[in-house]
Amino acid sequence: MSAKIEAQRVSKRFGSIVALDALSLEVAAGEVFGIIGPNGAGKTTFLRILTGYWLASDGDVRVDGLSVTHQRFAVQARLGYACEQPKLYSDHRVDAFLRLMGALRGLSGARLRGAIEVAVDRMGLEPVMRRRIGVLSKGFRQRVALAQAILHEPPLLVVDEPTVGLDPAQQIELRRIIAGFRGQHTVILCTHQLHEAEVVCDRVALLDRGQLAALATADEIRAGGSLEALFLAKVGTHSGLAS
Amino acid sequence: MIRRLAALSRKELRQLFASPIAYVVLTVYVALTGIYFFQHLVSYNQLLFVYQSEGMTGGGFDQGTVPSRINVLNEVFVPSAEDFGLFLLVVLPLVTMRVFAEERANGTDELLLTSGLRPYEVALAKHGVTYAFVLLLLLGSAIYPAVVVLRAGLGMEHLVALVIGQLFYGCAIASLGLACSAFTSSQIVAAVLGYAIPFVLLDFAWLSNTVSEGVAAVLREVALLSHYGSFARGVIELRNVVYFAGVVALGWLASVASLELNRAR
Repeated sequence: MSAKIEAQRVSKRFGSIVALDALSLEVAAGEVFGIIGPNGAGKTTFLRILTGYWLASDGDVRVDGLSVTHQRFAVQARLGYACEQPKLYSDHRVDAFLRLMGALRGLSGARLRGAIEVAVDRMGLEPVMRRRIGVLSKGFRQRVALAQAILHEPPLLVVDEPTVGLDPAQQIELRRIIAGFRGQHTVILCTHQLHEAEVVCDRVALLDRGQLAALATADEIRAGGSLEALFLAKVGTHSGLAS
Repeated sequence: MIRRLAALSRKELRQLFASPIAYVVLTVYVALTGIYFFQHLVSYNQLLFVYQSEGMTGGGFDQGTVPSRINVLNEVFVPSAEDFGLFLLVVLPLVTMRVFAEERANGTDELLLTSGLRPYEVALAKHGVTYAFVLLLLLGSAIYPAVVVLRAGLGMEHLVALVIGQLFYGCAIASLGLACSAFTSSQIVAAVLGYAIPFVLLDFAWLSNTVSEGVAAVLREVALLSHYGSFARGVIELRNVVYFAGVVALGWLASVASLELNRAR
């Protein structure tokens, strides 16, 4: 079960700052879709609009035909979101946190227990289930964030910067986990790690200053050399902060 | 919806009692109300002693008679209720400042508001748990007036009205504090506003000589204290209940509006 996404001329302005500028893109059901770009390119802004956390200034995003602007709760029921620097309740134990998030997703009783069991198994959380989230390593916190995102088996998974601050072994493991979602969920992966996008994603969108600078499939990236070459060709080495 | 609210309320309760603030506030409030109640009780006893003593006969009172206005209701219940109200005003912003602001500062509001929860559900759970805490505070301190009601034969309606009045008054102050917390990610700002707004709304008597009679009447209707006093006398008036319910609803609506405004920022 996976979802199709259509972003139609999505803009977001904060006063005079344009964070997203008429961005349009389509993501096919079941695809692992990467969004890369320099700081300030509008990656997280797009994810926040897609998840209904922020309202677009103009345009709309549709998930399986449902409008994020007008049907945000129906859209949110179809997505799981693991946000940047996982924002979790650090005073909760992992098991209590997953029970909470499952209940907020409308799960209860045997369904909730079953969903937690599956998520814990997929994320390898068994050893830390009774530990407080606040004392977990970044890698495990990220896994907890992903576990809560897949509890209700959403067609769409939105993952923002999942490997920031992780050691190489943890990065490899998380990439394996995210790649494993292929076919079961549509995945939107926002990342700074070009290698990660290259390895994990079926297609990659390069954002720069709120606009779509390039869109390429894995094959096209390989044919052009690497994602780094594409990035340098389209964005250069500017930080993007000026935007 | 009920299941989601119950889950969210459990989370709020857990977070409330995970911090020492809840225990400190409970202890300080129950201790302060006890000390001041006892003080009023002692003053009342001293007053009775003075009136009943022989020394007062020369001052115009008959020996052993006490004016009817000197009674446990006027000398203990009413001033204690005023003190209790003031203490609620002092301690409640310390509880409410964290509720929304901490969530926003930690970014966990993003987790809640993208999980399919409606903003009004988030606000309902947070307000509901805070009001339950207000009730806990009041039950902890109700022991003092309860003893007087039982010993002085005042009538249980006085105790019930006092607790109901305090609950309305406390929930109104908490609701304003929660609304302040919803508009900021700084707990300090939330606390300062949570003190300032109820203190401004407390009483406008000081303004009554400088404004027209019509404006003074309106300000009297807006003031928190003018709706609180009658409860301590055992009277539950509908207009006072409506007033406090209105303030509570206003605070809740402001909290919901803040969550929606954050989305549209």
